[in-house]
Amino acid sequence: MRLVPRIIGQSLGIVALSALFAFAVNAVRPDGLPLAQAAKTSSGAAPSAVPPAQASGEIALKDAALLFLSGRAVFLDARSQYEFELGHIQGALSLPTRNFASDFQDLKPLLSGKDAVIAYCDGESCPLSQALAKHLRDAGITNVYVLKNGWSLWQAEKLPVAQGQAAPASKAAPAPKPAPAAKVAPASKVAAQVAAKAALAPAKPPAPQMSKAPKMSKDDAKAKGPAKGQEKLCTDCDN
Amino acid sequence: MPLPPRAADFVLRFALALVLFYASADKLLHPQDFAAIVKGYHVLPGSLVNPVAVWLPWLELLLGLCLVSGYWCEGAATLTAGLFAVFWLLLIVSWARGIDVTCGCFSTKPAEPGAETTPMLFYIGRDAVLLGLALFTAWVRLRVAGEPEA
Repeated sequence: MRLVPRIIGQSLGIVALSALFAFAVNAVRPDGLPLAQAAKTSSGAAPSAVPPAQASGEIALKDAALLFLSGRAVFLDARSQYEFELGHIQGALSLPTRNFASDFQDLKPLLSGKDAVIAYCDGESCPLSQALAKHLRDAGITNVYVLKNGWSLWQAEKLPVAQGQAAPASKAAPAPKPAPAAKVAPASKVAAQVAAKAALAPAKPPAPQMSKAPKMSKDDAKAKGPAKGQEKLCTDCDN
Repeated sequence: MPLPPRAADFVLRFALALVLFYASADKLLHPQDFAAIVKGYHVLPGSLVNPVAVWLPWLELLLGLCLVSGYWCEGAATLTAGLFAVFWLLLIVSWARGIDVTCGCFSTKPAEPGAETTPMLFYIGRDAVLLGLALFTAWVRLRVAGEPEA
């Protein structure tokens, strides 16, 4: 059919011409984007500098990190369970926004006694954490903060992260038993949530020295070996 | 009385071009903001974020111009349908992954903190409608182009 080569030729022409215009104009306009340095400026998930708080209810990374290290905050991951399993803030609990209604009641006991409940997701303009924070405030939780672009910033600063399954809140134990975070290798979903709670216990700060986290991962792997459902600790898990 | 194919072709192309002009305008004016949105989708390597953010609005603009002017029309209609299909799939994938659901389809403004967020399903539904429009336009255009000249 004669139309097919015509369509292909025209499409390639449009793509080429638009690219030519785009890069030529970008080169001369004062606010053009740096194309050659894109890898440096765009892929480094987030700038290292701690962003200032831009609105009420947001918490700066350095403040969130301090609360994390002293075990005074509980982190809630607003992303999907899948993204959570790929990597999350160490000790964070998974509470996807769209599962809030079903999961919140089971999770509620884990939020008590903390100075801050910090919701996070990923991306400069990701609204999931804001939506989760709103749900939490509507549910009566008062000390709710949003760590904007939390997952990217947390990784960029090499703060402790973990990978692997943790229980959806609806499957978590409502009254978890404390357990040392460094030795936890939960084989079940419930145990993973318990580990998350234990990692946030004030008496046992989860990672007072961030550099110990990878060591814990190796020790953990040696001691227990990889197991399905196991939450492994690391500081540079890939997203 | 049904619209003659050539008239329908023109009306559809014009409507699709308006959508493309509107979509490209804000991105052309605010490339930095659009780059942040592209990055937020987490589907491109970092080195491609800025080039794509620079190129995409111009592609939309040129597609709109082709559709309105009638030059390279078959390619433009088909490419637009493909482009909208990619956007639609990206939205669905992002929604499923639970990441960065700011659409960036027509505006580069970030969501206001604390403000009610637009449901992702709205964006997906809206893009499905636009994809339907683009596919129908391409189908009509190709039918008209395949007809012998009167």
